[in-house]
Amino acid sequence: MRDMGLTAQNIEHRKTIVGLGPDDSKRIGQLGEVVQTNVERLTATFFDHLAGLDEARVLFGNSELLKRARVLKGAHLSEMVRGEYGPQYVEQRLKLAMLYTQVGLDAHVFLGAFRHLLEAIGACVMKNSEKDPMEGFENFMSLQKVAYFDIAIIVDTLVFERERIIRQQQEAIRELSTPVLQIRDQLLIIPVIGLVDTYRARLLTEGLLNAIRERRAKGVVMDITGVPVVDSKVANHLAQACEAARLMGALVVLTGISSEIALTLVTIGAQLRGIRTVGDLQGGIEEIERSLGGKARAPSRGDSYEGDPSRGS
Amino acid sequence: MAVPILKQGGYLFVAIQDELTDAGWRDLRTDLLERAGKHRSRGVLIDVSTMEVMDSFASRMLDGIARMLRFRGAETVVSGLQPEVAFAMAQLGLSLPNTGTALDTDDGFAELRRRTGTVVNAH
Repeated sequence: MRDMGLTAQNIEHRKTIVGLGPDDSKRIGQLGEVVQTNVERLTATFFDHLAGLDEARVLFGNSELLKRARVLKGAHLSEMVRGEYGPQYVEQRLKLAMLYTQVGLDAHVFLGAFRHLLEAIGACVMKNSEKDPMEGFENFMSLQKVAYFDIAIIVDTLVFERERIIRQQQEAIRELSTPVLQIRDQLLIIPVIGLVDTYRARLLTEGLLNAIRERRAKGVVMDITGVPVVDSKVANHLAQACEAARLMGALVVLTGISSEIALTLVTIGAQLRGIRTVGDLQGGIEEIERSLGGKARAPSRGDSYEGDPSRGS
Repeated sequence: MAVPILKQGGYLFVAIQDELTDAGWRDLRTDLLERAGKHRSRGVLIDVSTMEVMDSFASRMLDGIARMLRFRGAETVVSGLQPEVAFAMAQLGLSLPNTGTALDTDDGFAELRRRTGTVVNAH
């Protein structure tokens, strides 16, 4: 509830958006009896409609969830006509919405069933106020405000849940796509795959710098064969990563710039100042070994200055 | 308080603590140039591994010291920049174009030897 920004203040604001006020609560109060006596029949209307739809078969395949959904829906109808629409009411709506996402009920399916429910309620209300249809209609319109208030919350929850899953997956992809591989002493390879945005560039740089410190790397080959687009922003990010690595005493070679990317970079005038570039990964490794020829034989931590010729190459 | 400058073979070694004031930096610069001349040092290793912040003044100072020392025939290597500090410096565009860089003091002395082409303090 808090993740979605549903504070008491926000709930009040949502009420003003649909135009739900104290007058409406009073009108809805008059409907209490009608709806209460028909709760079971109305709940059944909602679920009968869903039962006929292929999209809801997951819900009907799980008797436990279905039972819970029926109980929650019945409680919803009773609550709807009570006239209290505070945080507690919203929390109940969220519970039901979470249940819908659990069974993969899409917004359009839910909306269809909810419309049928409203129609049934409307019929009940009108039948009950045959003497004064205008009064009945106005009462029903007040109830409709609550209904739209509910719909807004349910749809927002469905969307929020879906976005949450997308965010989770994006996170997973990001983490999977920036491995730091050590191919020998003091030499790391970072194959970058996928789009590089500001956030990912930051993760990439952090991973690179921490790997340099932890594995005492002297050379890093960053391979961007798997990066489809390199614009000035990405080029800048890569340059920063290389510069930061240099400050920590490591040499970074950038490889895998395809001819298309090279053309783009030249066309937009992007500068890869301070970055050493080599055609392919193999060339990059060779280049680093050449440059570090003397350096890579430096003693590692813990070695004496006499050194052991068989180590630390 | 003056930063201690240690002589190690043909090299000088300085470990900078955090919170070195601007005046402290200027004193260090003077002292280093003087000592490098006096001992005819071929290289200076400046360790910054305890620094948590490297602002533009400090990095400009470091690079300036390196340029001045080069005029007097000594190479400078900065060792021990922390990942967070290095990242922040790269983002701010603060580079140390005139100094060598190394992961720690071991690598720092190795880099000095590589740059000066002599093995002064080994064996």
